[in-house]
Amino acid sequence: MGRVAERGVTGPGDPAGHAPPYPVGLRLEGRRVVVVGGGHVAQRRVPTLLTAGAEVTVVAPDVTPALEGLAGGGEISWERRGFRAADLDGAWYVIAATNDAEVNVAVSEAAEERRIFCVRSDDGLAATAWTPASGRYAGMTVAVLGNREPRRSAAIRDQLLGALRDGLVDVRAEARAPGVTLVGGGPGDPELVTLAARRAVAEADVVVADRLAPRELLGELAPDVELVDVTKLPRGRAAQQEEINRVLVERARAGKRVVRLKGGDNFVFGRGFEEIEACRAAGVPVEVVPGLSSAIAVPGRAGIPLTHRGMTHEFTVISGHLPPGHPDSLVEWEALARTRGTLVLLMAVQNAAAIAAALVEHGRAADTPVAVIADGTMPVEREVVTTLEGLGAAIEAAGLRPPAIIVVGDVVGLARPDGEG
Amino acid sequence: MSSLAPLEPGCVALVGGGPGDAGLMTVAGRAAIEQADVLLVDHLAPTGALAWAGPAAEVIDVSKLPRGAFTPQERINELLVEHARRGRRVVRLKGGDSFVFGRGKEEVLACAEAGVPTRVIPGVTSAVAAPALAGIPVTHRGLVHGFSVISGHVPPDDPTCGLDYAALVGAGTSLVVLMGVANLPAIADELLAHGMPADTPAAVVARGGHPDQEVRAASLDRIAAAATGIEPPAVTVIGEVARFAVPTLAPTHPTLLEEIR
Ligand SMILES: C[S@@+](CC[C@H](N)C(=O)[O-])C[C@H]1O[C@@H](n2cnc3c(N)ncnc32)[C@H](O)[C@@H]1O
Ligand SMILES: C[S@@+](CC[C@H](N)C(=O)[O-])C[C@H]1O[C@@H](n2cnc3c(N)ncnc32)[C@H](O)[C@@H]1O
Repeated sequence: MGRVAERGVTGPGDPAGHAPPYPVGLRLEGRRVVVVGGGHVAQRRVPTLLTAGAEVTVVAPDVTPALEGLAGGGEISWERRGFRAADLDGAWYVIAATNDAEVNVAVSEAAEERRIFCVRSDDGLAATAWTPASGRYAGMTVAVLGNREPRRSAAIRDQLLGALRDGLVDVRAEARAPGVTLVGGGPGDPELVTLAARRAVAEADVVVADRLAPRELLGELAPDVELVDVTKLPRGRAAQQEEINRVLVERARAGKRVVRLKGGDNFVFGRGFEEIEACRAAGVPVEVVPGLSSAIAVPGRAGIPLTHRGMTHEFTVISGHLPPGHPDSLVEWEALARTRGTLVLLMAVQNAAAIAAALVEHGRAADTPVAVIADGTMPVEREVVTTLEGLGAAIEAAGLRPPAIIVVGDVVGLARPDGEG
Repeated sequence: MSSLAPLEPGCVALVGGGPGDAGLMTVAGRAAIEQADVLLVDHLAPTGALAWAGPAAEVIDVSKLPRGAFTPQERINELLVEHARRGRRVVRLKGGDSFVFGRGKEEVLACAEAGVPTRVIPGVTSAVAAPALAGIPVTHRGLVHGFSVISGHVPPDDPTCGLDYAALVGAGTSLVVLMGVANLPAIADELLAHGMPADTPAAVVARGGHPDQEVRAASLDRIAAAATGIEPPAVTVIGEVARFAVPTLAPTHPTLLEEIR
């Protein structure tokens, strides 16, 4: 220590006079990393090492159940015993995280001998490497190395990540290949958007959004992001979809990152595949970020499980936009009625009474419970519980309007037991 | 109630973790994990998401590992109630969505019976996402107007199998089979026996959304052979849409969807 201070290489904010650490990013893919210790410190380090692609070996007589699970699943190897110096042979990086200082010293010494950088959970000063407080956002890693003040580092890291997420830092400066990403926005509640969806939207130059896409996400767009509102495009189903395809291809070809943002999931009556075909035909790269489909998430938030052990082991999600018997209908209502699972109807408010009649005619009990949930997961959500025979009248009496999900089956009866909040 | 409202001590949140990549978790799911005092985690839950847990959070693995100890559902229910009664914020983290073959409602009911409040945060189900990440739309305009998700954990000829395969074949929907790797030969035969054409496209998507996602595609009469060697978790899609299968459609740059700390 004295030597460092004499040379005057005093780190900023380091009264003890140590040189600051030299920051580096280790590329650990396929490389052996040894973690000695199997407690909570080890447990917190291991997932990040796995994300970096490291081949992790944990050496400890006992480990936490989570680490045991990773070992059982083959994601890490576990040497179920005390540390031996030879454990470090072939390792690129070592973490000494036992709660026994003597063992940590032994690990440090063995690492030093082999010239392997070694982190110590108990004594940063004695370690040859420090773990920064880190996080990832939009393909970047943010790492904060404080002066062995982990709380302060974590707080600064949180603020930096927060600023990135809130769009206070322009992440689009990072060059990304142009192309189209189809993003499922979930059923409407902005909190039911996936992290990947948020990130894709934050990185977009152009966002092409549907009526049912979560509106709050659009409010966060930077002023120079182009927002194409599909509801304002010319009417008529075919023409509108052609126009959307044209916009996606044209903007991507102009070098933009285009996000196609929809409600729910792109592939559940979302016409996502038509857009993929259009992009492929034009040679535009296209990716998919799945979303929470309203077909599953809306009943789920209303307490209705689509499957339930001992009750039903199947469910069918079906479009009700055409009534039974319509010449263009691709649904065999008679066979569908004979399946034994839960039925989830989308786009079916208009044809609900006709569909219910067909289901009863072909064998579903007239008193089968039915739930209709309109504007699910949104502040204005409304729900009506009825039966197949009462469905048409119930929708009319309540004045329910699209968008709504209709769930048919015994699982509806499980919705809200006493005590569920 | 808002999904982001703080978790109350003594409350259990069932969080759907999506198909495996932590980036496919919801904003609400992540917030719940950050607040948890204890997490009860399944084998198929996204491991990357555990990095969001606080330093003092306890993580309990309740998974039914292939060779490990089997944790009966009743014991999981008990643990949820026990921890909640100790005034802890409990997060039950599962793969996919808790209500799609997730036994989530059993846990909600057990908590309700014990007077423990619950909150359900839906997740991206593998039934839709695993096919999507392999380029397969479960519905496609002009081709198919619905999809049926079935459990294949019981073979079709087993008396406890409650499925009517004839009706499923007749319904004309895309079929998505979960938990069906072992019984795939029997399921394919059953569908053929009920008149589904032998050349119906089919695809198996294993470890959808994981870096080592694997896709095998073949016609219905050959899919079981094509899937030899595939290990669970995998979903099988049977129907016209399966012919669109590609190795992966997940965002590849930057390499992962993940956003962890
Ligand atoms: C064209 S489909 C698109 C579905 C979407 N891709 C999905 O996965 O949720 C539109 C239908 O989805 C349903 N829907 C979408 N969002 C909903 C919500 N928040 N509440 C109830 N139903 C909803 C309604 O049945 C609506 O008619
Ligand atoms: C007990 S079920 C639970 C399903 C889960 N609740 C969901 O919504 O995805 C387990 C089955 O889900 C499917 N599965 C889960 N994750 C998967 C993945 N990443 N890729 C493919 N299939 C998956 C497999 O069929 C597996 O056997």
